[in-house]
Amino acid sequence: MRTKTLTLSRGLLLTFWLIGGLLLAFILLPLLQLYATQTPASLVHIAAMEEVRDAIWLSLVAAFVTAIFAGLFGVPLAYLLARTTFPGKALVEVIVDLPLAVPHTVAGIALLFVFGRTGIVGASINALTGFQFWGTIGGVIVAMLFVSAPYTVNAARVGFESIDPRLEKVARTLGANPWSVFRRITLPLARRGILTGLTLTYARSISEFGAVIILTYYPMTAPVKIYDLFLQFGLGDSSAMAALYLLVALSLFILFRHLAYGRVIPGGRQ
Amino acid sequence: MNGIAVKNVSLNLGAFALRDISLTFDLGETFVILGPSGAGKSVLLETLAGFYHPDRGRIEIGDRDVTTMPPEARRIGFMFQDYALFPHLTVAQNIQFPQRADPVRVGQLLARFGLEHLTDRKPVNLSGGEKQRVALARALAMDPMLFLFDEPFSALDARTRDTLRGELKTLLHQLGIPAIFVTHDQAEALMLADRIAVLRDGQLQQTGTPAEVFNAPANEFVANFVGVETLLPGQIVAASDGIVSVSVGNKTLRVADRGVRGAMSVLACIRPEDVALAHRTSSDSGTNNQFAVRVVSVSTFGPFFKITLDAGFPLVAYTTKQLYLDLELSPGASVIASIDATAIHLITI
Repeated sequence: MRTKTLTLSRGLLLTFWLIGGLLLAFILLPLLQLYATQTPASLVHIAAMEEVRDAIWLSLVAAFVTAIFAGLFGVPLAYLLARTTFPGKALVEVIVDLPLAVPHTVAGIALLFVFGRTGIVGASINALTGFQFWGTIGGVIVAMLFVSAPYTVNAARVGFESIDPRLEKVARTLGANPWSVFRRITLPLARRGILTGLTLTYARSISEFGAVIILTYYPMTAPVKIYDLFLQFGLGDSSAMAALYLLVALSLFILFRHLAYGRVIPGGRQ
Repeated sequence: MNGIAVKNVSLNLGAFALRDISLTFDLGETFVILGPSGAGKSVLLETLAGFYHPDRGRIEIGDRDVTTMPPEARRIGFMFQDYALFPHLTVAQNIQFPQRADPVRVGQLLARFGLEHLTDRKPVNLSGGEKQRVALARALAMDPMLFLFDEPFSALDARTRDTLRGELKTLLHQLGIPAIFVTHDQAEALMLADRIAVLRDGQLQQTGTPAEVFNAPANEFVANFVGVETLLPGQIVAASDGIVSVSVGNKTLRVADRGVRGAMSVLACIRPEDVALAHRTSSDSGTNNQFAVRVVSVSTFGPFFKITLDAGFPLVAYTTKQLYLDLELSPGASVIASIDATAIHLITI
C-alpha cells in the first residue's frame, strides 16, 4: 500500500535513507562476504563430513522441539497475561523477559545447577527415569528453551490482545463453553501471533551457542561444531560450515516466516 | 410461559454498580433501557446474559431461574454494537457456530435473511446491513428465548441507522421474541420501545410506556433526559374543577389535575413540541394557558427551529420552518404562546 507523505520533506527522507542504508549494508556485507570466500567445492567438501551434517541436523531438530515446548508452556501463560489482571502481574512479566537480559553463558551455568549431573531436576529425573540432560539432545533443548521462550510468550500475548473480547463473549452466548470458545475462536484468531512467536523462538534456538556449550558440549550443535572447527582447523573449514549452516537456517527461517505471515486469514482483521 | 423477570438485582463492580433493579416484561415485548453513558446499561445487559452474577437478586427467563447459569446455558441472543461476527469464519460458518444449530435450520436461516449469495464471504466483506442480518441469523440458530441489543445502531451513519432500525423492528415483531435494547438516544427509544426503563447511576428512575415516560417523567433527571426543555419550579396555589393552579414567578399556570395531592412545591414540565405559537390569542382558551412572550433566541437543528422565549419565565418551543417564517420569530419579536393544561406535567418535589 502506498502511503502519501505530504508533510514529510524529501530532504529529510533522503537523509534518513542514507543513514538507514548504512545499517542495512552493515548487516548484509559480512554475510555476503562469508559466501564470497566460498567455492561450491568448499561447500561440498564440508557437507560431505558426517559430523558436520549431524551437528546441523541436531540444531534443526532441537530447535523444532524447543518451539513445540515453548508453544505448549508459553501460550497458556500468554493468554493469562493478555486477558487477566492479577496481583504480581508485573513480576510475572519481568520473569518472562528475564532470559533476554541474562548473558547466555550465565544462563548455561545456572542451568547446569538445575539440570546437570548433581542438579535438583537433572539428578532426580535421572534417578526416576534414567534420562539424562547431559550429553544428550535433552540438554540442548533445555538450553535453547531457556533463552528463547520469551519470544513465544510475548508474541502470543500480542496475538491474544488483538482479539476483541466481545467475540469471546458472543461465542459464550451462542452456547459454547469457555474451553470451546478458546479452541474455536481465541486460538484461531491468535494464530498469527503464536506462529510469529514460535518462528522467533525457532530462530533464536538455532543460533544459540553460549548456554548450549556450557550445559552440554556434546552432542555438538551446529554453532558449537563451527566453533570446534575454528579451534581445530582455523577459518577455512569453519567458514565453510558457517556458510552452509547459514544457508540451511535462513531457508527454514524464511519458510516458517512465510507460513506465519504469508497466509493472512482472508478478510481477517489482522 | 411467563415473561422475563429481574428481581431486586444488585451488583457492585467498583466502577459500575446496579442497585436493586427490578423489571418484568412479557414475551413479545420490546424493552428499551435508556440512560446516559456510565449509567450501568451495558452492565445490566451483561448481567442478564450471564457475564456477571448478581450479588443479590434473581433473574428468571420463562420458567427458568437463570441467576447463576453460565452464558452458554441461557439461550440469550446477544447483539453487540458492531455485531461481533467471527472474522475468521465465513457467513455460513458463523451461522453454524451455535452448538444447537442443525444444518437444515442454517439453510433456512440463510434463505430467510437473503444471505445465500454471501455464504462463503468473510465478515470484513459485508455491509452494515448484511452484518446485522448475519448476526441475527447466527443468534436465531440457537433458538434464543430473548434478544439483547447493546447500542446496535450507534456506530452507523444516520441513513443506514434508520433503515436497519426499521428492518429490525419489523423482524422482531414477526419473530415474537422479546428484546431488550440499551441506548442513550431518546429518539431511538421512542421508535423501538413497547416499554422504557430509564437508568441512572445503576438505579431505575422510571419504567413505563414511551408515552408515560416522555409525557409524565417521574423526576427532574428523567424529564431532562427525555427532552423536556422547560422545567419550572412552582407552588400549587389552588385546585378546583379538575384544574390545579401553579404559580411560577409572577405568572400562574393552569394544569389538568392528575391527582397531585398534598404537595405544594412542584416542577412543571413542558415539552417544547407542546408549546404553540401564534400572532394573537385564540378565543377557545378554556383549558389553555396563554402568555404574551418575547423571542430571546432562535437556533435550528435538523428539521426544527428551537425558539427560546421569555414568558415571565423561560420557555422553549419547537416550530417548523414555515411557522418560523410566518410569525417572523427573530429575537425581540412578540407572539402569543399557548400550552394546553393537559400537556403540562407536575413533578412533586
